[in-house]
Amino acid sequence: MATYAHPEVLVSTDWVAAHLKDTEHVRIVESDEDVLLYETGHIPNAVKIDWVQDLQDPVIRDYISREQFEELCAARGIANDTLVVFYGDKHNWWACYAFWVFKLLGHERCAIMDGGRQKWIAEGRPLTREVPSFPRTVYRARKPDRSIRTFWKEVMAHVQAGKPLIDVRTPAEYRGELVHMPDYPQEGALRAGHIPGARNVPWSMAVREDGTFKSREELERIYLQDKGLKPDDEVITYCRIGERSSHTWFVLKYLLGFKNVKNYDGSWTEWGNLVGVPIERGDPETKVSDG
Amino acid sequence: MRKLDTLLELFQEADPEERLELLLDFVDRLPPLPLEYVPLRDAGLGMVHECQSPVFFLPEVQEGQVRIYADVPREAPIPRAFVALLVEAFNGEPPEAVLEAPEDLLNRLGIAPLLGMQRLRGLTGIYQKLRREIGAKVGLSINPSSNSA
Repeated sequence: MATYAHPEVLVSTDWVAAHLKDTEHVRIVESDEDVLLYETGHIPNAVKIDWVQDLQDPVIRDYISREQFEELCAARGIANDTLVVFYGDKHNWWACYAFWVFKLLGHERCAIMDGGRQKWIAEGRPLTREVPSFPRTVYRARKPDRSIRTFWKEVMAHVQAGKPLIDVRTPAEYRGELVHMPDYPQEGALRAGHIPGARNVPWSMAVREDGTFKSREELERIYLQDKGLKPDDEVITYCRIGERSSHTWFVLKYLLGFKNVKNYDGSWTEWGNLVGVPIERGDPETKVSDG
Repeated sequence: MRKLDTLLELFQEADPEERLELLLDFVDRLPPLPLEYVPLRDAGLGMVHECQSPVFFLPEVQEGQVRIYADVPREAPIPRAFVALLVEAFNGEPPEAVLEAPEDLLNRLGIAPLLGMQRLRGLTGIYQKLRREIGAKVGLSINPSSNSA
């Protein structure tokens, strides 16, 4: 079986179990959708990073500043050369989001624990409510890595150039029947549909039932054979608020080795609210506007 | 003083970290669903549709007292804690306690800023279901002014 393009960014539950005490070099980070899940029990020696409380600016729609990121890491004992291993609920959806934000803010050594919280628990491994604390570090953030993030004006140019986009939302959202995920009505937009030319691959296509990522062959069948992407393509992924699409961003960039993938974190809540931007609706097969 | 007022005081005096700890306490305090309600839950009745997790939430009025029957998975601790808090606040109280409770309860408890906009909707759905169904059972509208609109 072919290995992933960058196998070093994926660690197994076995690997994590064997490195629980290696807190000088490794920091395990839990990132969940539910803000209380970590507190109910987490991997021993894991710290918590919450996508709302810790990673987002409380006022502006943006991520924390360089200084805030330095403080976030220092307080959790993360040094510049610490390997940060993310895991979480919902097939590592939020873990991939935190991974993307860490990469964006310039942290070099990041990994995902394959299978996430679900697999760790299914294997009967220990959980604890004990919150660990580690000696403070001095963290010096590198320059943000803008090569993995894109903004709407760049997305517009990308569309006009006919380059590929992957819409990772549900087919109903993509077709324009819903403006939000079923059950997440607060994150709405005034218009429904998708960015013109985008192909629809729901993010969850990339994972198995047990929470682990599908094999390289299976992923290549989905993204390369079925959707016609090529590893040299410049690809933009988006969803509703940029979190589900960071999961697919991770798959394309690290598991399949795409050289140039960007996550559009403004996503549909921005595009679907922008005045005058072009939108498509319906299934890709039935569209007539593809040129 | 209503039981809810005591809880509101508790949350309002806590700082954000302590509020999470208070909620964590509630996660463990949700009473088990009585056996006779299990078939209802399994049939998908009494579910809160705004919640992403399967939240069973059935408020009743028995002999003039509110009774909440609920079940929320442990993997969804925030909705589970909030439901346990509602059970503690309203079980055994007269229906008026629900109808007179503040509409913006989540803000008053100080939970809203912990969650962010994105995660509030499910909890609001649970609370609205409580107010709506208790109101309907005692023949009162929680929002009388809307009748004339």
